[in-house]
Amino acid sequence: MDFELNMEQREIVKAAREFAEGEFDPQVAMELEKSHQFPFDIRKKACQLGFIGIHFPEEYGGQGYGIFENALIVEEFCRRDSGIGSAVVLSDFSSEIIMRFGSEEQKKAYLPKVASGEYISGGGYTEPDHGSDITLMNTTAVKDGDSYVINGSKTFITNGGIAKFLIVLCQTDENASPTYRGQSTFIVPTDVEGFEAVEIEDKMGLKMTSTCEIYLNNVRVPADNLIGKEGRGFYQVLEFFDESRVEIAAQALGIAQGALDRTIAYIKERTQFGRKIAAFQVNQHKAADMATRVELARLIVYKAAWNYDKGRIDPVLTSMAKMTAGRTAVEVCDEAIQMHGGYGYILENEVERFYRDAKITEIYEGTREIQKNTIASTIVGRFK
Amino acid sequence: MDIIVCIKRVPETAEADLVIDGSKKAIDTDGLVFSINEWDNYAVEAAIQLKEAEGGTITVISVGPEENNEVLRRALAMGADEALRLTDPAFEGSDAYAMAKILAAAIKDIPHDLILTGVQADDDGFGAVGVALAQMLELPYAALVTDIKKEGDTLTVHRELEGGLEEVDTLKLPALLTIQTGINEPRYVSIMGIRRVAKKEIGAKGVADLGLSEEEVGLKGSLSQIEELFFPPVGEGAEIIEGTMDEKAEALVKILKERGGIG
Amino acid sequence: MEKIAVLVEHRQNEVRDITFEMLGKAHQLLEGGGEVIALFLGDVSQKGLLDQITPHAHRTVAYLDSNLKDFEPLRYQAAFTNIFENVDCQLILMGQTAFGMDFAPAIAAKWKIPFTTDVVDIEASEELHAIRQMYSGKVNAKVSLKPGEKMLCTVRAGAFPAEDIPTVSGELQEITGAIEGDFSARTFVEYLEAAVGDVDITQADIIVSVGRGIKDADNIPIAQELADALGGVVACSRPVADKKWLPKERQVGTSGKTVKPKVYIALGISGAFQHQAGMKGANTIIAVNKDPKAPIFSIAHYGIVDDLFKVVPALTEKVKELRG
Repeated sequence: MDFELNMEQREIVKAAREFAEGEFDPQVAMELEKSHQFPFDIRKKACQLGFIGIHFPEEYGGQGYGIFENALIVEEFCRRDSGIGSAVVLSDFSSEIIMRFGSEEQKKAYLPKVASGEYISGGGYTEPDHGSDITLMNTTAVKDGDSYVINGSKTFITNGGIAKFLIVLCQTDENASPTYRGQSTFIVPTDVEGFEAVEIEDKMGLKMTSTCEIYLNNVRVPADNLIGKEGRGFYQVLEFFDESRVEIAAQALGIAQGALDRTIAYIKERTQFGRKIAAFQVNQHKAADMATRVELARLIVYKAAWNYDKGRIDPVLTSMAKMTAGRTAVEVCDEAIQMHGGYGYILENEVERFYRDAKITEIYEGTREIQKNTIASTIVGRFK
Repeated sequence: MDIIVCIKRVPETAEADLVIDGSKKAIDTDGLVFSINEWDNYAVEAAIQLKEAEGGTITVISVGPEENNEVLRRALAMGADEALRLTDPAFEGSDAYAMAKILAAAIKDIPHDLILTGVQADDDGFGAVGVALAQMLELPYAALVTDIKKEGDTLTVHRELEGGLEEVDTLKLPALLTIQTGINEPRYVSIMGIRRVAKKEIGAKGVADLGLSEEEVGLKGSLSQIEELFFPPVGEGAEIIEGTMDEKAEALVKILKERGGIG
Repeated sequence: MEKIAVLVEHRQNEVRDITFEMLGKAHQLLEGGGEVIALFLGDVSQKGLLDQITPHAHRTVAYLDSNLKDFEPLRYQAAFTNIFENVDCQLILMGQTAFGMDFAPAIAAKWKIPFTTDVVDIEASEELHAIRQMYSGKVNAKVSLKPGEKMLCTVRAGAFPAEDIPTVSGELQEITGAIEGDFSARTFVEYLEAAVGDVDITQADIIVSVGRGIKDADNIPIAQELADALGGVVACSRPVADKKWLPKERQVGTSGKTVKPKVYIALGISGAFQHQAGMKGANTIIAVNKDPKAPIFSIAHYGIVDDLFKVVPALTEKVKELRG
C-alpha cells in the first residue's frame, strides 16, 4: 500500500496548479458567470498543454495517462475555480465511450480533435422521461440502408449547445427483452439536419457550462457512427459511468478543497469583536472538520481512480466515491458560506458560486440515491 | 548553441508568515511551498527561446538536496535537455562565493557557449552568484539582462539600469548573462513535457566528483556567513481606516479632498 | 577600522546619489577618525565631477583614462588592479545598483575579498557586521565577513541619507596612463532612454498605482476608472510591467520611474523596497492591500486592509458622486 503520488503525478498536479492559477482569473470568472459564457480561450490553452484528454492513448492525441492523472487535473482546476474548472474539464465528456468501445476509424477521427481543442464532446443519455432509469430509451435509431435515422429528445445535456458531436444512447430494438439489450450508442454530429439544441438558461449553477434540451428529428447518421455493435449501448454507458463518476467525484473534491482554501484565508483576515475570527475556537473546529472531510473524500476518490486504472471495474467503489465527494462538496461549501457570513451569500464572493456549482455533483452522472442503489444492490443483494 | 542554466529551488514566502528557526540562522520552512526561483524561470525560458532559434542543447544545474530535482525536472519539461544536481553535506552554509565555486567546478566539464543565471534569488537575494561565477570561469558577462540578440558569436544584450534607462552591450561568446524578470513570458509546463522527460535520469555530483575539497565549499569555503536572523523593526506605519465599505470609501474621499487628491 | 574606500558611481555625466549615501556612511563608521577614500574611475573629460566628490573624502583617488568613460567591467577591473596596488583600505563600499551588481561580485571573486551584497546597515564596532535583508525584506540577516586584508560590501540605494555629508579638506590624487589589455569581449554600445509613452507619470499630481493584486490585465480598467474620476494617471509596480499588463514607462521603482505626486494610491502593491524607492517622496500615500503585513503599510500614510476589487469601485462611485 502506498499513499504517495509518484513523481510524474506530483509534476502533473503542480503543472495543473500553475496553469489554473495563471489563467483562471476571478474577475474573468465573474464575467463568464454573469454572461453564461463557456471559457473557450482557457480551454484552448489547456488543450495545447495536454491537460484535456490526458487519459487518451498517445496514438489518439492523448498523453497516455490514466483516469487517476485526469482526476488530479480535474481536482486542481475545480479547486482554483468551480465554474471555469468544471466547464473546461468536462469539455471532453463522453469521448471515453469512443476511446473504450469505438472503432479504429472513430478513435482517429474524433479523439485527437477533442484533445487538441478543436472539438468539444458531450453525451446524450438522459431523456425527459428517463433520468436515473436508462433501461428504456424513447429515442430510437432505425437502420435505413447504410445509415440510421434517429428520432427523440434528450435533456440536461452537458455541452449540448457547444459540442461538435454527442454520443447518443438510442433504442435500436424496441422488442428486445430486457429492453436495455436493444440499445445502441451513436456518434451524432451537432451540425446535421434535424438536430436542435435548446439552452436551459436558468439553472442553479454551472453557469459557464452549456446544458441543453436536444431534439432529434429524423437525424440521419452513417451506419459507421454506430459505436461497437447494436445492442451494446446500455453496457457501454454503464461502464462509462464507472469512469465518469470518478471524474465528477474529482470535480466535487476540487470544489470542496477550493471552498476550504477560501474559508481559511477569510477567517485569518476577517476581524470581529476585535479579533481575527480564526481566533475563535468554533471557527477553528469548523475548519478542522471541513479539512478532515475533504481529506476523507480525497482518499476514496483517489482509490476509485487508482482501482479503475488497475483495470478493475467496481461500481460500488466508484458510487461510494462520487456520493462521498459530492456530499462533502455541498456540505463544505455550505459551511464555507456560513463562516463567510453575509459576504458568503453574495455573488461577488466565490464561495457562493462554489456552493451552487457543488450541488450538481450530487445530481448528474447518477444522483446520490442512484449511487446508494448501486452500492446496496451489491452489498445487500437485490430484493423485489 | 549549448546553454547552461543555473537554477535554484526556493520557498514561496510572499504571502507566508515566516518563523525563524531554533538556530536563529534560517527560517522554518515546514509548511512552505517550494518552487523555482522566479528569476531562474525567466532564465530557463530565455534559454529555450535561444535554443528554438539557434539549435543546440540546454543543461540545467541546481545545487541542493534531492528535492531540487523538482525544479530540474520542471525545467526539463519546459524544454531543457539535460539536468545535473550538485549535492553534498559539505555544501551546507555556502555563501554566494562558495556557491559560484561549486557551480564553476561543475561547469568546466560541460561544453557551453552561454551560461544563464537569474539576477538574484527570492530567498537570500545576494544577486552575486552569476557574476562571481563568470569571473571564476573567466568569461565575459553582463548582469540584469532584459534582451538578448545573437549574431554569429556575438551577443547584443540590453541591461536594465535605474530609472527606466537601459544599456546596450555586445559580448563575445562564450559568455554569462544574469537574467532579469520580464525579459520574456515563461511558458507553462505541459503534460507533453512531463511525459517526455519522465524517464530522464538526473545525475548528482558531490564535492569529490567536482574535484573540490571540503575546505573550499560550505561555511569553510565561504567569505561570509549569517550570524543571526531577526525581524525588521516595525515602522510607524499607516493609519488604518476601518468601517463598512461605505465608511471606508467616505473616509478616503475626505482624505483625497484634503490632500489634493481630486484634481 | 581606519580606512574605507567608496567607489564613486557616475553615469551620463552625473554623480549618482548612492555615492553620497556611501560616503556619508563611511564617515559615520569612522566616527571622525580614519580616512574616507573616494575611488573615481572615468575619462579626463569627466574630471569636473570630482568637484562634488573631493569635499567629502579625505582623499580622492581618480583614475583617469579614456578607456574608463563608460562603465565596462573588464576595463574597470584592469583599473582596479592598479588601485589595489596604490590604495590601502580595509573596507570597500560599492552600490547594489545596476553598476555595482555588474561589478562587485567579480572583483570579490577575482581577489578573494570577503564580501556581501545589498546591505542596509553596517556595524563596525570590533568586528564588521553587515545587515542585509532576505525573503524580500521580511527577515533581516546579520552577516559576518571572513577576516581579510580588505572587505567589500555593496550598499542598497536609499539605505543611508545622501544629505548632510561631512565636509573635509580632501586631497586629490590623479592616476593617469592607459590601462592595458584586450577588452573587446564586452563592449559598451549605448544608452537607451526609456520609451516615452502617452502618459508621463513623473508629471502627475495624482497616481493610482496597481501591483500584483490587480491579478489580470483585464482588471486595469478598474484602476483607470478611479484615476479618471480623480483626474490622475495609472502607474504600476514591477510585476505588472513584467507581465506586460501596462507598458514599462508606467513602472514606478528603482528600475522604473521615480514619482513625487501629491497623492499616490497603491492598489494591491506589497511594497518591495525597489518600489518604495520610486514613490516614497509622494506627499500622501494611501495603500489598499488584503495583507495587513504588506510592507507598503509601513510607508503609507493611510491604509485599508481589504480587497481592492471591493474598495476601488466603492471609492470611484463616491468620487463620481462628489464631482456630479
